[in-house]
Amino acid sequence: MSEPAERETIVIIDDDYAIRLSCKKILSKMGFRAETFEDGAQGLEGVARLKPGLAVVDLKMPGISGMEVIARVHEMDPEIVVVVITGYPTIDTAVAAMKCGAYDFLPKPFSPDELRLIVNRGLERRRLAIESRRAEVERALLKRRFVTFVSHQLQTPLVAIHQYLSVLKNLEHTEDAAAKRQQWFDRCLARTGEMQTIIKDWLTLARIEGDTLSRQRVKVDLKRIVADILATYEEMAGQNSVSLEARMPEDACCVRGDRNCLSVLFDNLIVNAIKYNKPGGKITVSGEAREGEIEISVIDTGVGIPERYRQLLFDEFFRVEDEGNKKTAGTGLGLAISKKIVSEMGGSIAVESEVDVGSTFRVRLLAYRAQAGEEDNNRSPDELTSEKDTDRGR
Amino acid sequence: MPTSPRVLVIDDDQDFRASVRSLLENHGYVVIEADSGTDGLRKVVEHKPDLIVLDIMMKCCTEGYGVNQAIKHQEAYRDYRNIPVVMTSSIELSPDELFPMAGEVEMIRPDYYLTKPLDIPGFLQVVERAASVCRSRNAGEI
Repeated sequence: MSEPAERETIVIIDDDYAIRLSCKKILSKMGFRAETFEDGAQGLEGVARLKPGLAVVDLKMPGISGMEVIARVHEMDPEIVVVVITGYPTIDTAVAAMKCGAYDFLPKPFSPDELRLIVNRGLERRRLAIESRRAEVERALLKRRFVTFVSHQLQTPLVAIHQYLSVLKNLEHTEDAAAKRQQWFDRCLARTGEMQTIIKDWLTLARIEGDTLSRQRVKVDLKRIVADILATYEEMAGQNSVSLEARMPEDACCVRGDRNCLSVLFDNLIVNAIKYNKPGGKITVSGEAREGEIEISVIDTGVGIPERYRQLLFDEFFRVEDEGNKKTAGTGLGLAISKKIVSEMGGSIAVESEVDVGSTFRVRLLAYRAQAGEEDNNRSPDELTSEKDTDRGR
Repeated sequence: MPTSPRVLVIDDDQDFRASVRSLLENHGYVVIEADSGTDGLRKVVEHKPDLIVLDIMMKCCTEGYGVNQAIKHQEAYRDYRNIPVVMTSSIELSPDELFPMAGEVEMIRPDYYLTKPLDIPGFLQVVERAASVCRSRNAGEI
């Protein structure tokens, strides 16, 4: 039988001295702190004071009856497990006791083993109930936090748009308004787009978690995915004076997954590498195929991530706020989404970083293996259908 | 000849600053912008504005309160203590309602509290009232 982790207290309420003594002995040996009381009144006082996890209560006692004690203990704290013992067990008393809040029934005389069994079972049940209640509370808190967080995220661009519109109204016939109108329309559109991206990202995250995102499970060459992404961001990287390089092996790096999800996964990492880089910096995406595993690393020469933030990095509510720099655009959900995608595929993602030197994000995924009945050609489906014919490995 | 009242707008949202700037300039104010609490405090010292419009939630949830506290209570800023502060936020509750028991509310209570998005006529009224107080005070000092 298991020993309790910390000393749980058990209260024994029985007018029979022998029972009190033997219960105390048995339970103390199990590692519990056992306190005994010879009548209902003292027992209730003891329960109130000691706040036990479990109480053993005799039904037939002078003074306050056992049933009354059970009912009062249950009232005090419904999570205290009550075990009823009695020399006159009947179905009726058993039922009555349960209705008062008892967990189980132990007829006298009982053996030490019988007592041990009931106590352990009862405390296990209590532990589960407490855990589940704690989980409920945590869930409610998380939900509230999420609602507050997302409301604020959406509120900010909405306020800006509203502000532009109401000022335009107020300045209606002025010269300034005419000049500003076009510019402000563009800004309103940009902020609207920002809100749409926020909503889209949250939905993506929810759908990955909720498993409602339609996903294929086909052979995908990560070399191609990486090459496509780097091509997309060539211009943006140029604007940030950051150079891009792919160092991928000769052979294809194939995994089994959904092409879109894998694109999103690496897209987020590469965009971050550009955003948080230094001017004149560099981004290297390197790949390695090992025994049954493909590892892709996105390495930047950027501002790095301080130690204290690394734990929180993949959390959906977390944004690194630089002291000196302005807030960078984006919803902050990129890493959370990437991590979810990786987890869904049974892979792993980790980060190494040094402040002011740069960061490396390492993604490990299971290498593609043909399943029974599938053809394993050397051409991946995307190679067959791709319109791009140049090899992008630089 | 009286110079136009100068308003310092401290808010990390560039769009909010842009629209408020146009509004105030069209109503005869000179506008100075700051995009953070730190930048804001620096510009208070540099420009000694007649009014400060301050956002509560910038980098962290209560950055604005920190700025208000500094201006109203810290020795380093005693020359700027009388500048009226208009605090803005998208939260509907004023600091007194949010923190009814806090003794420190004294320290963080601004002169005016307005919710975003700003009701334009109401905002202009507050700005005019605050600026005229400062103007007459300055006139008295000269």
